[in-house]
Amino acid sequence: MNGAALPVLALRHVGKRFPGVQALRDVTMELRPGEVVGLVGENGAGKSTLMRILAGVYQPDDGEILLSGRPIRLAGAADAMRHGIGMVFQEQSLLLNLSVGENIYLGNEAAFTRYGRIEWHALYAAAARQLAKVEVGVDARTRTADLDFATRQMVELAKALTLEEAASGHLVILLDEPTSVLEQTEINILFARVRALKSRAAFIFVSHRLDEVLALSDRVYVMKDGAVVAELPAAGADVRHLHSLMVGRDLRAEYYRESLQRPPRTDVVLAAESLGRAGAYRDVSFALHAGEVLGIAGVIGSGREEVTRTIAGFLPHDAGRLTVFGQERRFSSPAEAVDCGIGYLPRERRTEGLVLFLSVAANITLASLGRLRRHFLLDPAAEARVARDWVARLGVRTPGIDAICLNLSGGNQQKVVLAKWLNARAKILILDHPTRGLDVGAKEEVYELIRSVTGEGIAVLLTSDTMEETIGLSHRIIVMRDGVVTHRADAPPGGKPTQLDLIEHMV
Amino acid sequence: MPAQRIERLRRFLPVATLAVLVLIVGALQPEFLNPDTLLDLASDTAVLFVLASGVSFVILTGGIDLSIQAMASLASVIVALTVDRLGYASFVAAVAAGALSGWLGGLAHVRLKIPSFVATLAVGGVLAGTALVVSHQHSITLGATQRAYIGWITGPWLGIPREVIIGALLLFFADTVQRRTPFGRYIAAIGAGEAAAYASGVKVGRQKVVAFVISGAFAAFAGVMLAGRLASGSPTLANEQLLPAIAAVVVGGTAITGGVGSIWRTLVGALIISVVRTGMTFIGVDIFAQEILFGAVLVFAVAVTIDRSKIPVVK
Repeated sequence: MNGAALPVLALRHVGKRFPGVQALRDVTMELRPGEVVGLVGENGAGKSTLMRILAGVYQPDDGEILLSGRPIRLAGAADAMRHGIGMVFQEQSLLLNLSVGENIYLGNEAAFTRYGRIEWHALYAAAARQLAKVEVGVDARTRTADLDFATRQMVELAKALTLEEAASGHLVILLDEPTSVLEQTEINILFARVRALKSRAAFIFVSHRLDEVLALSDRVYVMKDGAVVAELPAAGADVRHLHSLMVGRDLRAEYYRESLQRPPRTDVVLAAESLGRAGAYRDVSFALHAGEVLGIAGVIGSGREEVTRTIAGFLPHDAGRLTVFGQERRFSSPAEAVDCGIGYLPRERRTEGLVLFLSVAANITLASLGRLRRHFLLDPAAEARVARDWVARLGVRTPGIDAICLNLSGGNQQKVVLAKWLNARAKILILDHPTRGLDVGAKEEVYELIRSVTGEGIAVLLTSDTMEETIGLSHRIIVMRDGVVTHRADAPPGGKPTQLDLIEHMV
Repeated sequence: MPAQRIERLRRFLPVATLAVLVLIVGALQPEFLNPDTLLDLASDTAVLFVLASGVSFVILTGGIDLSIQAMASLASVIVALTVDRLGYASFVAAVAAGALSGWLGGLAHVRLKIPSFVATLAVGGVLAGTALVVSHQHSITLGATQRAYIGWITGPWLGIPREVIIGALLLFFADTVQRRTPFGRYIAAIGAGEAAAYASGVKVGRQKVVAFVISGAFAAFAGVMLAGRLASGSPTLANEQLLPAIAAVVVGGTAITGGVGSIWRTLVGALIISVVRTGMTFIGVDIFAQEILFGAVLVFAVAVTIDRSKIPVVK
């Protein structure tokens, strides 16, 4: 460790609040020249918020950011780039219809423009030099769509390195989950490039693959609940230790209302037999019982998201059998799933969960308007009664049933989504990251509601942001990796598997 | 909160505008305010209102129907050509043709996933061409026997112009459909958040097609009314009606991006357009120069009714 060198980038007591959530608190970290710093934490720990602050997308509410010792304010992504902060994100920013060279200099064509026209020769020559830095042997005139994903990732890296010429001072490159869709050999190449580029730039590397973080980083920061909880050198650390730091909290059984976990009934409401969908998952079998919470654990790309979306009606399966209440089904739209008594609580609450600009009442009744109809017309009095009833039963904090959902807090929005499905008399709920973006108190309310609806016989299929939540809430857990089920575990109260029991089947 | 005050202002702006316009025109031309002129104004507004309330349904879903003007013209031609043989059934045939064209345009939009403005622009072209071909590019004046069938459209009934009565009945019908049926709720949900509506089990495609069917049928009905008022059918009868109709919807406060709006707002918008039109005629502005103003008004109204902070990208 080179303690004497001035940090390229330093964060001092940085905090960020969103309505109802303290996303970051008192974050202090630094990045030294030529260093790769790993950043790990569970979903919701604040990693992405931190990255967005460094990328200029968000502005911190507290604290300061120092670049080579000088405090700076990053007003936007372009501003961050001017200061030499580049990024390579998981969702690639390349435009596929443009050539590699056009992408590398997108927004910076002015440097190659003379008398209003772009001198393409100069631009492509410069792009070729950038590509040489990352040792990518493609022609800068190639259409980006014709490259494979891993090569595009390298192009992204080359694009970030153009800042070397544009920005003064040291270069900082943010790598946000750059490996999640790469094959192992591709990852090895990416890592080799990053190591080779350490003389040119310092890196912050965010990944949920802890082994990779340890392999690439010099130091690692561990985040939890918006704060940095540990900083340690990567040499000598191991995955287990890192993971226990990430989870941090002693598992408090009551957090997940385990005492309210009742044994499920014996009747199977939904059964998957060797279910498959090309390119997503295969040979997935499980049975879901009334009153049961079945958790699916797995990392991004494990196929669990697609299994969930299949049962919610978004992605039809193309192999195996799906049986819902004894009938074989193949859903080609969510409407068909809804007709079978399935309700989907999506992770994209604000786009798929709620119509934000409609009222609380309209959202609660959206999936069951047919029942409010009398002689072809909706009965407004009945609708108001139903809405008021659910608002009271679930404790939705809203100025009124006519308030639009946009202004509710995340937890209350989630209750409205839940009310919609309960009012539609859904018997199977698919909870896709039900507590994403909620603070601790709101999470506990959601847990309580989950216990209460399963107590009434509703079956729940759960995918969750954290292992801890999956384990705490579920009766049974299936673990997926690379599209197949790799492990099954019972999780009765008092006999819950540990995260380490499951994690070895996930990665 | 200022945001809420702006929101409230936005809601009452159309009605206030209408009142101010009536007072201004009334001050310049006091005869404008006498009841007969106002009733004339109302009956002149009826066709525009019917055209605009149909397309309101499509605009509420976030789409647009550009074929309404051509459909209205074609409907007038259908009536003029068939009223001899079919009698009253010719009106039904015209409206059915409107529903059919709306259905086809809707299917093209939903099934083939063509943006609604392209799909309906194309349908409009087909309809306009059809009207020209079947009418041999002529305006067809109704004979004396044929005029007997159009008595229900024009003239006063108990002192009230029949156009106004028809307009009021359609207002009641459209308003009921929009505010009181599941369909009305679904299209608002689609306009405000299509992904959430879809995930909630709303059959999004079907609801959209129904909106286009209503729009087509209303446009055809507007054409029937025009044919009745002018006692003729013509392939260009409703020309220069598209812009005022869409302007009426938006000036009334229905968001062009969908989700927010109502038939009552469209009525207010249609009245505003009508008052402006009449006012300009009173003042002596060339009828063709009025289009210039409607274009400007449309841009202004869209700019005022959209809350841009909620819409990151406008295409």
